[in-house]
Amino acid sequence: METQVKQIIAQVLNVELDKITDDLSAGDIPEWDSVGNLAIISTIEQELELEFPLEDLFDLTSVKSIIDEVNQLKHV
Amino acid sequence: MRLINSSMFKVDHSHVLASIVGHAITSPDKVALVEGSVRVTYAQLVANIECAASYLQSMGLKHGDRIVLSAQKEPGFVYLYLAAHLIGVVNVVVDSTLPADRLDYIMGVIQPAAVFGNHLKLEGKTVIPIDDINFECQSVKQLQLLSLHDSDVADVMFTTGTTGRPKGVCLTHANIAGSANNTNGFIGTMADDVEALALPLSHSFGLGRLRCVLMAGATLVLVGSFANLKTFFAIIENEQVTGFGMVPAVWQYIKRLSGNRIAKFADQIRYIEIGSASMSLEDKRLLMELFPDTRICMHYGLTEASRAMFTEFHEAVGHLDAIGRPASPLVEACVLDEDGHPVSAGEDGEICIRGNMVISSYFLDEDNKDCFHDGWFRTGDWGHQDSDGLFYLTGRKKELINVGGEKVSPITIEEAILSFGIADCACIGVPDPNGVLGEVPKAFLVSGSGVAQVPTIDEIKRHLASRLPSHEIPVEWEWVNSIPRTSSGKIQRLKLKK
Repeated sequence: METQVKQIIAQVLNVELDKITDDLSAGDIPEWDSVGNLAIISTIEQELELEFPLEDLFDLTSVKSIIDEVNQLKHV
Repeated sequence: MRLINSSMFKVDHSHVLASIVGHAITSPDKVALVEGSVRVTYAQLVANIECAASYLQSMGLKHGDRIVLSAQKEPGFVYLYLAAHLIGVVNVVVDSTLPADRLDYIMGVIQPAAVFGNHLKLEGKTVIPIDDINFECQSVKQLQLLSLHDSDVADVMFTTGTTGRPKGVCLTHANIAGSANNTNGFIGTMADDVEALALPLSHSFGLGRLRCVLMAGATLVLVGSFANLKTFFAIIENEQVTGFGMVPAVWQYIKRLSGNRIAKFADQIRYIEIGSASMSLEDKRLLMELFPDTRICMHYGLTEASRAMFTEFHEAVGHLDAIGRPASPLVEACVLDEDGHPVSAGEDGEICIRGNMVISSYFLDEDNKDCFHDGWFRTGDWGHQDSDGLFYLTGRKKELINVGGEKVSPITIEEAILSFGIADCACIGVPDPNGVLGEVPKAFLVSGSGVAQVPTIDEIKRHLASRLPSHEIPVEWEWVNSIPRTSSGKIQRLKLKK
């Protein structure tokens, strides 16, 4: 799941996969702006068939936090 | 600390610099810039601008030369930007993520004497990293300052043109100072304000906020972007921020990701400036509810006529749908018909502007055609003025798509799609289905007869990803039999909107 989430983020932001490290956060690279952040959220929801709870969106600020949230929602 | 060199007082041509030097004299220890843990006082700011100017002159740069600066939320960018103004060098501020073909076009038109940026990639051109420049030199060679004028060009900003290629907007020192004075006068930004600047500096709005704050002698906190709202909110709290600017799409983003959390700062936020796109009445009312004592100021303007009009939401109850009135007594607006004659109150026409912040020309003479009429700048926006003098927008004559405040030319997208072998296509702006960006591009495609294999939408999207920034890639797609065109072959986009 971790690799899949990273691949989606890399694809949405149109950057190399090796740039998507666990500690990379929104705003760290020019590509991960607010529009990119929304695209990441909606693409993960669509491709992994899940829905992030609205109250959690505020905390999904890094690659790691997104992976943790996906794992939790998918009961991995 | 190094003392301010006497040459810094010769800034009659730049009211922006003159104000900053004035603050450095009267309040030398006041913090001007904050970036992370870095704090720069007004005295340090002026000394570092002078150091940067000396560095630019040591490179042989002189009055009238142009430099390309990659927009970065770092003090070094501010020093270089203002240093260029000091010695009469013209800034061309660009977004480091611009697609290569657009950057190449700008470079070809501008022919810069030097290029600066930490993340800018340019083939065949040396880019000097801003991080490599020492702005805290201990001694500065006496600057060679010529007699400069406020009518000299300070910045050339590239804006989306209706023809699909960017247009260079020539802003004089008087234009940028005029806009900042008009804006500060309306909003009321003061020396004790602290502003968080998360808007991009490659846009007129963001760069304008930088000048407004420093001219007011206030503190500017440089924030990378709005992407990480946790960081943005922490900065509001820790730096005791009293104001910020945003575009309507950012408000959608804040609402969607953080609900009403931002309202906890309502007591400390004295002003919010909004601009670059229209905002729904529902959002305006929500902001008024969450920020009952904040001046919520929305501007109407273009890079060519920055902050031409203003409205303050709490003062505009009953007229929240208006774009407001001219920003100051030094700005005038009128509505003209197709022949350039004034129309009656309530009648639609083209909104035209003149004033201290309105440009006199574009960089390329060919772009000036049809943009000015008897001293008025023709905005290309349609609207009317009511009998109380308030202005209202009703549409756009120019066919640009406004994606979250980013103006996108449909022609740019169409050319990129056509390069993939599609027989014909046309793009228009449609409401964002997610309700965040205002408008998003929609593409109408014609496969053409005799085409062996029609590409899929996914294939076209992948092709576009390497040519266009993500916000320019159409969100909606539709195959059609033909594109409506006039007898002269011009796409009738209004017909596609129906």
